Amino acid sequence: MDSQETIYRLCPNCQNNIPEQNNFCSICGHAQNHEEVKFHGKKRQNLNQVALFFAIEIIICISAGLISEHTILIALFFDLIMALTAILFFAYSWQENKFLLKWPNFSIKKVSALIALTLIASFGVQFLVGHLNQLVFNKDYTFYYTYAFHDYGNYIMIISVALFPALFEELAYRGFLMQRLLNIVDEKEAIYITSILFFFIHFSMISFFWMLPFGLVLAYVRIKTNTLWYGIVMHFFFNLCACLIEIYNYGSF
Amino acid sequence: MENQNINLCACCAHHYESIDIFCNTCGYPLQGTKQQQDAFIANRTVKEIDLVDLKKKIESARNSLYIITAFLGISGLFGLFFIKEGDDLFYYLISYVILVGAFLAFAVWSKTKPASALISGLSLYVIVQLLNIIADPATLFSGIIIKVLIIAYLIKGIIAVLEVDKIKKELNIK
Repeated sequence: MDSQETIYRLCPNCQNNIPEQNNFCSICGHAQNHEEVKFHGKKRQNLNQVALFFAIEIIICISAGLISEHTILIALFFDLIMALTAILFFAYSWQENKFLLKWPNFSIKKVSALIALTLIASFGVQFLVGHLNQLVFNKDYTFYYTYAFHDYGNYIMIISVALFPALFEELAYRGFLMQRLLNIVDEKEAIYITSILFFFIHFSMISFFWMLPFGLVLAYVRIKTNTLWYGIVMHFFFNLCACLIEIYNYGSF
Repeated sequence: MENQNINLCACCAHHYESIDIFCNTCGYPLQGTKQQQDAFIANRTVKEIDLVDLKKKIESARNSLYIITAFLGISGLFGLFFIKEGDDLFYYLISYVILVGAFLAFAVWSKTKPASALISGLSLYVIVQLLNIIADPATLFSGIIIKVLIIAYLIKGIIAVLEVDKIKKELNIK
């Protein structure tokens, strides 16, 4: 009766016409979700890559935390190692990841709107964090003095605190990690996991109230726009704002 | 219409047409030999049993998260009695409340989003243990068997989540 409304498709195994809603071909018995099953079979490999990546990230971050000395050279050294890790993992599956480096549908309006929102959020967060640090630790925490004693300290600070993390954290988390996770779980869970791991790697429990939402927004923008660049721009301006406030508070250009 | 009710698949009890060679819902070989049909049913049963086992593994992983929560909560309360004059009580409390809250949240969350919750829980647990070891290397060996067991259960849980998805796809069930 309703056979006119049934949509047919070709069975990929025996090329016979079968109704779309059938799970198996009634002529050769071929599973119609064969591709999906194959996709699920590759999950373990992807999971192992994610585990290796995150283990390396933890080791780097913990070794950075172990060194109590704060000098420009050490800061730049760890920036360089993070950058190399990000590039290596990203390039390992280059064919799958390279589309993320394109910037389709570039819109100056969107970029300016995102930058404006980021700056407002960053100001708010810096203000709150400043007060929270005084409240909880009874002291100001600043990374400014690491860079203060160099002639070009301000510029090195902007490169090391704003530019490098923006580029390479995005490349690593929203680039490599996100792409791997999309092969394991659905989009929503990939957004959650990347932002939670992104938050963990900063080793700052108190900052969960802004680091997690920030990670979620970056991951969401990356999924919606299919490019890393909006995230990189937002991340850069967020950190730049923090740098400029430090310079304003403790030093001068 | 009358004889439609007779043609029900022996494996999944869905209706089939008499010209069908395989059941289009479960892939059962309707016109195969007795041996093929038995093998099909056996194979499917094995997968269904696997599914039950894997769900138990996810359950154990969730319980590990609850155990971590309970252990952290108790040791946090216990630690309050040993806090020294110079220590920052406020900071101590905030750290423990956030950590206990996080593990509890992951444990509850693992009911709806097991992959995210278990991966996050495992990562946090490993990071906390590593930071503990760095702060005080002696903690490496205290309760090492329990720590290894908890990590093993969490890893098995994560792998089980992926396997469950895979088997469900193979069996074509939601």
